Amino acid sequence: MGGPAVSTVDTRVKLGGIALRNPVLTASGTFGYGAEFAPFFDLARIGGIVAKSITLEPRQGNRPPRIAETPAGMLNAIGLENVGVDAFITEKLPALAAGVVVVASVFETEIDRYAEVCKRLSGVPRVAGLEINASCPHVKSGGIEFGQRAEVLAQLVRATRRATSAPLLVKLSPNVTDIREMARVCEGEGADGLSLVNTLQALDIDIETRRPVLSNVLGGLSGPAIRPVALRMVWQASQAVRIPICGIGGIMNAEDAIKFLICGATAVQVGTANYLNPLAALEVAEGIEAHARRHGVARVADLVGTIEVPAR
Amino acid sequence: MKESAQLALPLRVDAEVRENRAEGGSNFRLRLAVAGWPGAEPGRFVMLSPGARGAALRFDPLLPRPMAVYRTLGVAAPPEIEVLYKVAGRGTRLLAETHAGDRVRVVGPLGVPFAMPVAGRRALLVGGGTGIASLYELAARAAQRGPVVVMLGARSEAELMGCDDFAALGVELRIATEDGSRGHRGRVTELLEAALDAGAGGEAIYACGPTPMMRRAAEIAALRGRSCQVSLENRMACGFGVCLGCAVPRADGSIALVCRDGPVFEAGQVAWAGLP
Ligand SMILES: Cc1cc2nc3c(=O)[nH]c(=O)nc-3n(C[C@H](O)[C@H](O)[C@H](O)COP(=O)(O)OP(=O)(O)OC[C@H]3O[C@@H](n4cnc5c(N)ncnc54)[C@H](O)[C@@H]3O)c2cc1C
Ligand SMILES: Cc1cc2nc3c(=O)[nH]c(=O)nc-3n(C[C@H](O)[C@H](O)[C@H](O)COP(=O)(O)O)c2cc1C
Ligand code: FES
Repeated sequence: MGGPAVSTVDTRVKLGGIALRNPVLTASGTFGYGAEFAPFFDLARIGGIVAKSITLEPRQGNRPPRIAETPAGMLNAIGLENVGVDAFITEKLPALAAGVVVVASVFETEIDRYAEVCKRLSGVPRVAGLEINASCPHVKSGGIEFGQRAEVLAQLVRATRRATSAPLLVKLSPNVTDIREMARVCEGEGADGLSLVNTLQALDIDIETRRPVLSNVLGGLSGPAIRPVALRMVWQASQAVRIPICGIGGIMNAEDAIKFLICGATAVQVGTANYLNPLAALEVAEGIEAHARRHGVARVADLVGTIEVPAR
Repeated sequence: MKESAQLALPLRVDAEVRENRAEGGSNFRLRLAVAGWPGAEPGRFVMLSPGARGAALRFDPLLPRPMAVYRTLGVAAPPEIEVLYKVAGRGTRLLAETHAGDRVRVVGPLGVPFAMPVAGRRALLVGGGTGIASLYELAARAAQRGPVVVMLGARSEAELMGCDDFAALGVELRIATEDGSRGHRGRVTELLEAALDAGAGGEAIYACGPTPMMRRAAEIAALRGRSCQVSLENRMACGFGVCLGCAVPRADGSIALVCRDGPVFEAGQVAWAGLP
């Protein structure tokens, strides 16, 4: 696609009402609260950051071991560890430079608590939007993730939508039979956009001890290992809804990110890559722009959904 | 254990391998040219990506590996650092295959360094296995402030790291090997016990090595009412406090991140029974 190379590229995109200078954000839980990356690059040069998910109260996470390496990926079971919504607002947000776009990520164990966190974040000037992390175990459903049952997900989106007028993204769990159904539920309840995917539920074993490698037994798989699964889900969801999608899963470089744009994502989030390369998000943003320039694409937004599926 | 505000900020650099040499046993010495390297206080570390070596980046193995900065070679331009490592698994095996001219991604310097001993006081440094690598810069700087005794332990003589370098610092060196192939036959913590019982008291104690060794050193110190600084090892994904993967319990029930709050801790603050 595209024509001869262009000299300037418009990299701006709009994600569910959030204006981004380029389509690259950082994924929740992989970028701390942002300030940790300030030594490495100017955070205002990427589209934005999605902060670590926060709950109503500060919480401690799981016992160690919390992480393990797997083929081209990693497992994690951090638990709910975070500073809590109040410290997020009073301590973490002010530590970020003025030009940095911040999306707050919310998770909880009950729906009314999710709504309360959203209320407290509403109207906070530095918060450009909210992302509801639906991959948290729902206590009342016996630990199944909020995002794994359509009725529960619908209730969650309805309650959080009522609690805030800020741009509302819902981050979907990939641990479902049909991602299209979950995407439609969110759109129907008034979500402004979708983020997908969160980590894939997974297990690994130490054969010497015959024990799971993580204290929590199950963990979430992330990294390049999940990228083709994530890409498939983004493509399916983008055909099912009209609200914009933020693609996440195993993005290591610009080429990976461009695949998500082509499959229908309006923007992307860089996750695990931040651990091995603290400059990953910036390099992805610059790489997308360079690709667009080379291919004569005047606006990065024009790449979105350009997948060409041959007739069968 | 020093105010982090004074510490050099970390860089991400694709460093060039100047030399990667087998040093007996499973030990290797890696010398890297790191453009812009700001130097590192004793006890700080880097994350090395053994998968990202050579021209092409690879993502399997995915995660970088934490390695102590053994020492900074100040005279070279760009500055060079040395890392002493043991082949322990897949990542370090890949690292062992690198050659001069290859690139290895470095993120660092990271972590909180050792607190230096009070000037004039004797410092006792106890190192076991790869933990020895965290102690060289400490020994070098402590030696400028007062007497230093370095006690190094390994399974056998071949597995000992860095002995000649420590000896060249002019510090008092005592060795223990489990098979008796060099020095005291037994554990390095037995040397610590002997040194404390023969000493005048007031020494600063430092330990770095396998967890059981550090736990024993901490007990030996605590039994004598003494504090001890330890440098913990843990699996890490990021090394700079964002993945929350390296958490360990503190004695007071709170959680510490080894990469950000450590790796150096006061031994009494660590909930040893809760370590992975
Ligand atoms: C702050 C810090 C400084 C370190 N400094 C040095 C150093 O200077 N020289 C050196 O040789 N090593 C050092 N290590 C340990 C080093 O990081 C591990 O040996 C290395 O990550 C193993 O990688 P691998 O892929 O070869 O092994 P893997 O295949 O990942 O594992 C091999 C074995 O080592 C164990 N292991 C893996 N990672 C760690 C870890 N981080 N800590 C403890 N056990 C582990 C595994 O359980 C397994 O039994 C340090 C660790 C930390 C946290
Ligand atoms: C250690 C770790 C912690 C994470 N914490 C969160 C979190 O708090 N909230 C959230 O929505 N997603 C969290 N995630 C999921 C990521 O945001 C992302 O959706 C997932 O890792 C897939 O992307 P990746 O393969 O690029 O990492 C976490 C992932 C990892 C690896
Ligand atoms: S290794 Fe990531 S927080 Fe310590």
